[in-house]
Amino acid sequence: MPDSMNPSPVTRHGKPLRAILQPAIVYCLLIIGVLIVVIPLMWALAASFTPNHKVFEYAYPFSWRALLPVDFTMEAYDNLFARGFGRAISNTFFLAIATVIIGGTVNALAGFAFGRFEFRGKNLLFLLIVMLTFLVPIDLTAIPRYILVNSFGWINTWQGLLVPGLANSLVIFLFRQFFAEIPQELIDAARVDGATWLRVLGSIVLPISKPVLVAAGLLMFISQWNSFFWPLLVAPRQELRVIQVEISLAVGQYGTIWNELLAGSMIAAIVPILLVIPFQRYYVEAITGTGLE
Amino acid sequence: MRGKQQIIPYLFLLPALILLIVFNLLPTIATAVESMFVISLRSGDRVFAGFANYNRIFNDPIFWKSLQVTVVFSLIVNPFQITLALGLAMLINQKLPGIGIFRSIYLLPVAVSLNVTAIVWRLMLDKNTGMINGILFQLGIERQPFLHSTDLALWSIIMIASWIGVPLWSLFILAGLQNIPEPVLEAAKIDGANSWQSFTRITLPLLRRVLAFVLVADTVANFLLFAPILLTTQGGPQLSTNLILYETYRRGFLYGDLGASAAMLSVMLIIVFLIVGLELYVLRGDD
Repeated sequence: MPDSMNPSPVTRHGKPLRAILQPAIVYCLLIIGVLIVVIPLMWALAASFTPNHKVFEYAYPFSWRALLPVDFTMEAYDNLFARGFGRAISNTFFLAIATVIIGGTVNALAGFAFGRFEFRGKNLLFLLIVMLTFLVPIDLTAIPRYILVNSFGWINTWQGLLVPGLANSLVIFLFRQFFAEIPQELIDAARVDGATWLRVLGSIVLPISKPVLVAAGLLMFISQWNSFFWPLLVAPRQELRVIQVEISLAVGQYGTIWNELLAGSMIAAIVPILLVIPFQRYYVEAITGTGLE
Repeated sequence: MRGKQQIIPYLFLLPALILLIVFNLLPTIATAVESMFVISLRSGDRVFAGFANYNRIFNDPIFWKSLQVTVVFSLIVNPFQITLALGLAMLINQKLPGIGIFRSIYLLPVAVSLNVTAIVWRLMLDKNTGMINGILFQLGIERQPFLHSTDLALWSIIMIASWIGVPLWSLFILAGLQNIPEPVLEAAKIDGANSWQSFTRITLPLLRRVLAFVLVADTVANFLLFAPILLTTQGGPQLSTNLILYETYRRGFLYGDLGASAAMLSVMLIIVFLIVGLELYVLRGDD
């Protein structure tokens, strides 16, 4: 029998058992992981569309109904917006978009300098930025930054929220890496035609830099959208609250209106999810790009 | 002309550099300076105090307890997250039908903030009505006070942090796996290496740099875990989850003791320097 010569068992269709078993195990493990990822989100989403007194109805004891909005209502979202939650959403959008535009400009300029020029002190300055990013996590210096911003009179202001986070070394890295790979001929041609460097950046380099613009934009937008510690310290006043601060303070204030808490959380979650999923290649490159250098 | 050329890169760098110096570098230096002052958030008085703040925190059992909790937490959470992240990266690196869908799903926690994660898990882990206890109930296991027991609370925090951490770090490892040239693994197979041998002798050594980066970045990120503590246990019960950054926040912003808070942050800065330095030294590559 040929079987005796074959070291691995063979199924009816002639494939080695291992070739079927291995993918099956991989899929099983992947599905277990997916359940851990998806169940909390499905429950939270379903519960946000559920009357408050029924939020935990199917969670304990657990039934599959917990994952679907079987008692559908918009009550939580209506109440949340009546309470002024829209303000937190528009604040966060405004802050994130301002960060992308102003911060993007600042970081692209710096990335261009590092990527395309040789100048005295370049390596030293770059090292300084690397060290600051790697060795001094932003949250660790929050208190002196708070005292500094306070001395500018920027507590509970837009400037206090926006300005300290504009320069972002990760984004500078991304721009530097991309700009360094642009062919020299393109830039030389424009320079020969007498274009200024700012013009070279604006009309030659940026139009062919869509991948890095998308990646950097996503990175800045999402990290600002999800930022919490600094806005909590610098702008706790209600009119300036960003979404992460708003939902987090609600844990203490309206801790038992669970459906509203979850509705706010789902709004806070859905915006970055909707941005990341269609652009996942760019986003993954943006967050991993700096780590692999 | 050359002089004019020379100035242009500096002009391009200037805005970012000023911002980084003012809002990142100065506060770093100021942390050390500030730790020598006693300042009150309410009155604003600021008095030089030498090493008094350090003296206070080093003689404070709450600070030591917090440091101890942070060390225990770090020793568990980092190996836990990196091992699982490596496993997840190997799984989503398989060339199987539908793998793209799995990769997208595993990206969801990476997009969601720690705050949202903590809020949802706080309710999932509720001791009376949470879904996890609901599932245990169906399995005939009695309720567990996940966030209210000194035995379980830190583990719950580890799980919450890992819900984001594992998929996040797996992205880095996946990128590293994809950089391994296919022929290298094929050659090993032809030479008769089984999967375990090719994993330990080829994949792992080639992932060295990525794993070193992930270890450093993960250690620092977990050392600074804050939002999940604020939103679930607030350091309790009995300070069993009082991680160090939460303790500095409690001191500085809840009790208005910015001096002690800055002293703790200086100690933390030094610890981060040491951790990063040590890990980079231990994991240094040949290049």
